[in-house]
Amino acid sequence: MGPKNSLIASIAIIAIAAGAWLSYQVMAPQPLPQAATVLPAPGELPDFSLVDQSGSAIGRDVFKGHWNLVFFGFTHCPDICPLTLQVLADAKRQLADSGHSPLPRIVLVSVDPERDSPDLMDQYIAYFGDGNLGITGDLEELRKLTNGLGIFFEKSNIDDENYSVDHSAVVLVINPDGQLHALFGAPHEPTNFVHDLPIIMAGR
Amino acid sequence: MKRFSLILLLTALISACSIGRAPLVATDVVIAKPRPGMQMTAGYLTLSNNTSQVVTITHVTSPEFEFVEMHESVIEDGMARMYELGKLTILASKSVTFEPGGKHLMLMRPTGDFDNVTLDFYAGKAVVLTVNVALTE
Repeated sequence: MGPKNSLIASIAIIAIAAGAWLSYQVMAPQPLPQAATVLPAPGELPDFSLVDQSGSAIGRDVFKGHWNLVFFGFTHCPDICPLTLQVLADAKRQLADSGHSPLPRIVLVSVDPERDSPDLMDQYIAYFGDGNLGITGDLEELRKLTNGLGIFFEKSNIDDENYSVDHSAVVLVINPDGQLHALFGAPHEPTNFVHDLPIIMAGR
Repeated sequence: MKRFSLILLLTALISACSIGRAPLVATDVVIAKPRPGMQMTAGYLTLSNNTSQVVTITHVTSPEFEFVEMHESVIEDGMARMYELGKLTILASKSVTFEPGGKHLMLMRPTGDFDNVTLDFYAGKAVVLTVNVALTE
């Protein structure tokens, strides 16, 4: 084999190897979320008129421009709510530590607007990091949002002035277009969010 | 019946003391300082019954909080619910753990600003355990 043929053979081998590598990249299974359920088509949110933690009026557009992790809870909840918000805060910190961008925004929607004033929401959500959003306001307007998202809540121990509120434990992912994009069922673990969120965001 | 329960309890206490161990022991006690603006916090711990008798905790009090209740969080059909435990039964030589997402003490309405909390665990009218712990941040 002359030098010319050797060159052609080498190029051919490199081309075959490159082709094989490319097909592997194209054909290889893409990573899938391990915990989240991604909706086949993102869903539009119902409109509503509530307030944020500064007392400013907000509607469904408040979710736009961010990947939102939305949890429904209340500040007088001693266990599940702070536990879940801490899971979300831990996941966000781990994503930040690994250099992921953009970072999700943590949103707490109060299912106890009777006790959760904007001031209280402001103090509460700040405990779980910067840039979080708290939503509270009129109960009927709140129902518009929760009913449209399939979120359920009701007071329990209502004879007791220290009543509790039973509520859906799911964490919703609302995309930067303000659409319901995915959901994480309870129980919540930071690793699920750290694994799934980059996949969900990239797959958009 | 009350007298019988008291005798049982006393027997349990004596039997535990006779072998040199406290009858009821609390370990891994964690009570977070109430968050800013909050009138409540949660308490977590493990209660170990070192006696050969069942111990039933009927209620818990604290001078630092107006109310202390034993609660349990559960996730049922996707719903987060919280139940008040009327009483807590700890079988002989067994432990019960209060942990995030499960059983917890709900401490409501702090009576002031403080760094330590005292908890009195009752079996009926008798205090069977007193715990003093520094609040965590």
